[in-house]
Amino acid sequence: MLKELLVEIDQADYVSKERLAVTLGQSVSRIEDGLAELVRLGYLSQDNGLNCADLPCGKCPYVSMCHRDPLKTWEITDKGQRVLAR
Amino acid sequence: MSYTIALVGNPNSGKTTLFNALTGSNQHVGNWPGVTVERKEGQVQRGNQLYTIVDLPGTYSLGALSEDEVVAREFILTGHPDVVINVVDATNVERNLYLTTQLLEMGAKVVVALNMVDEAEDRQISVDEKALAQRLGAPVVPTVASRRKGLDQLMQAAADVIERPLNGVVRLSYGESIDAKLAELQEFLVKGDLTYPPGWLGVKLLEGDTYVRKIVRENASLQSSEEFGRLWDEIAAQEDDWQLEIVDRRYQFVSAITKDVVQRPGTAVQTATDQLDRVLTHRYLGLPIFAAIMFVVFQLTFAVGQDLLGDLMATGMGAFGSILERVLVNAGAPDWLIGFAGSGIIGGVGAVLEFIPLIVILYLLMGLLEDSGYMARAAYVMDNIMRAVGLQGKTFVSMIVGFGCNVPGVMATRTLESRKDRMIAVLINPFMSCGAKIPIYLVFIAAFFPSYGGLVLFSVYVLGILIAFLMGKVFSKTLFKGETSHFIMELPPYRLPTVGNVLRNMWDNVSGFLARAGTTIFAVVSLLWVLAVLPGGVEPYGPESILGRIGLVIAPIFGPAGFGNWQAAVGLFSGIAAKEAVVATLGMVYAGVEGGAELVGVIREVFTPLSAASFMVMTLLYTPCAATLGTIRKETGSAKWALFSALYTFAIAWVMAVLIFQIGRLFGLS
Ligand SMILES: Nc1nc2c(ncn2[C@@H]2O[C@H](COP(=O)(O)OP(=O)(O)O)[C@@H](O)[C@H]2O)c(=O)[nH]1
Repeated sequence: MLKELLVEIDQADYVSKERLAVTLGQSVSRIEDGLAELVRLGYLSQDNGLNCADLPCGKCPYVSMCHRDPLKTWEITDKGQRVLAR
Repeated sequence: MSYTIALVGNPNSGKTTLFNALTGSNQHVGNWPGVTVERKEGQVQRGNQLYTIVDLPGTYSLGALSEDEVVAREFILTGHPDVVINVVDATNVERNLYLTTQLLEMGAKVVVALNMVDEAEDRQISVDEKALAQRLGAPVVPTVASRRKGLDQLMQAAADVIERPLNGVVRLSYGESIDAKLAELQEFLVKGDLTYPPGWLGVKLLEGDTYVRKIVRENASLQSSEEFGRLWDEIAAQEDDWQLEIVDRRYQFVSAITKDVVQRPGTAVQTATDQLDRVLTHRYLGLPIFAAIMFVVFQLTFAVGQDLLGDLMATGMGAFGSILERVLVNAGAPDWLIGFAGSGIIGGVGAVLEFIPLIVILYLLMGLLEDSGYMARAAYVMDNIMRAVGLQGKTFVSMIVGFGCNVPGVMATRTLESRKDRMIAVLINPFMSCGAKIPIYLVFIAAFFPSYGGLVLFSVYVLGILIAFLMGKVFSKTLFKGETSHFIMELPPYRLPTVGNVLRNMWDNVSGFLARAGTTIFAVVSLLWVLAVLPGGVEPYGPESILGRIGLVIAPIFGPAGFGNWQAAVGLFSGIAAKEAVVATLGMVYAGVEGGAELVGVIREVFTPLSAASFMVMTLLYTPCAATLGTIRKETGSAKWALFSALYTFAIAWVMAVLIFQIGRLFGLS
């Protein structure tokens, strides 16, 4: 499943856990496990984005424009690219 | 003699609860040698047999990635427990079995405590424990540790396993080529006289386990063999592939078992999100849809905020103003205080507060988009365009934050790794029109374009984005060259925003706005008020005042842009302290002159629609506020870049404003 997951992510325009779950016939939590494992093993890297709660915005009235759910991004590492290339 | 039982399990599987339930107060806490990991041990007496239970750290895996993992696996492999009780959370069998699989690989004698079966039942998850036991080749005992259920059966099963060796240990296959390589390796490893099971060592070697590699590398008898040396090199070359393959096989093993033994209530397949995304993130439709949604947001803002609530605040402020003045007059307050209250507070701060309804509605709608998960799609759609112009896609994340406030917007660029991407993102962020500029646009819209409010506001934001893209492109071609890395954005599932959340946002918004009006804006207005009435003897709010003289020095610069009056100049100048101050300053200086004249009315006389447009563009693009400049200095680590940002944005704003005014005049607009 992990290799398939890596291939899917490589070919996808964006990462949607729901979509990956449907494509690979797995549960979403399973996909999450797989992604975590790929990160742990160094095939993928994840950037959890900026959590607005960490910013000194305090009671700024414009804070609702900030992402309460930080936007996450993924990147296939060199190690991951090497495996994909084979 | 006492038998030793090791207790392993994932975090939160209920292992501690089980350990406490089994051992009661018979516990001893210490440390594992050499590490800071806690070691807990307890005793259980059954009949005349004593069992020592060792609680190993909770882990998801038994690799070499953390101290916890190493401690747990070292004990299982070299501590010679007579049996290993693996606590498996029945509500999440699939995740938990990954650890079980690794225990089997180690050749451990395993008894599975299928814990939390009560919770699983509540959630309608059923686990066929007999089938599971058969597939794992290990006994499975359902337990509810928190209610001490199944403990006796569990201990009985453990005792049985200790007495009678398990038959038919389950072996995983890793595919033909790896299995063959393992067999080859094993022949050598058996000869190495290592304390670990050779089969397990082989798997870990192929997996690239650093800890095991060290053990094997330091084994003299193995390393002296030339043949082994060749095998060693071969492994090193293929490690990445094998690692993924082996882990994958474990997953497959677990998936296959789970599919057969676990039944969950049919999880609705999330096709709705998927179908929605097919449209909303469509290669060609995505952008027009995003534009249309934003346009509707701005239209709605004006429809609700202006048409429904617009007069409310204006009337309120007017009434409050006259009451305040009457109170002050009756109390015999000095003239300067009455003047300050009338033009400074009501005319200045009040001019900003009048637009609260519109701003609150706008941010309410934006908050809804954010909460629903759509903003991530918007970022994704923009990401595609940014990439097309050669910019790092993640930049747009910081740009969206900039729509609220440029300070966190600039800080949000921290998530960009390369200096190139980051510098560009920092420098273009101020073009994202922040919330504090909205009152400026609203005043001019109310004066000249009341029927086209949504469209004008929309155009302003779009212009900001376009200029940001353009400058980003320019910077990436000139100042900061280099490669952009490729990221894949994650789109979270859509959610229905909750009423509570929406109300809380609105309250934060209103209270935050009032707080800002009462502090920053009040402070700036007070300072400017002093400058506007000094020196004594000159006409207050006139061109002879200190403020007027400052304005007259700057004003000629803006002549070609169509707003070369001193009031507009000081307005822009004060905006560098805080953008809301532009409106507050205009409100104050005009209110003072006309004796409480309504700002919108005065603007209508002083500006023309064309100069209003060029003024709006100027405020959109010119020098960011002091707080943003300070943040730029901090984030780039240099005052030089803050200065650069202040100057180049001003230059671009000026050029754009002049272009608009001059070209407009050519077309006969005024
Ligand atoms: N419903 C239910 N809850 C349990 C059971 N066993 C443990 N818990 C609860 O699960 C939570 C985690 O348990 P804990 O023993 O701390 O987990 P550990 O991280 O594996 O040590 C606690 O709140 C326990 O009360 C069980 O069999 N059924």
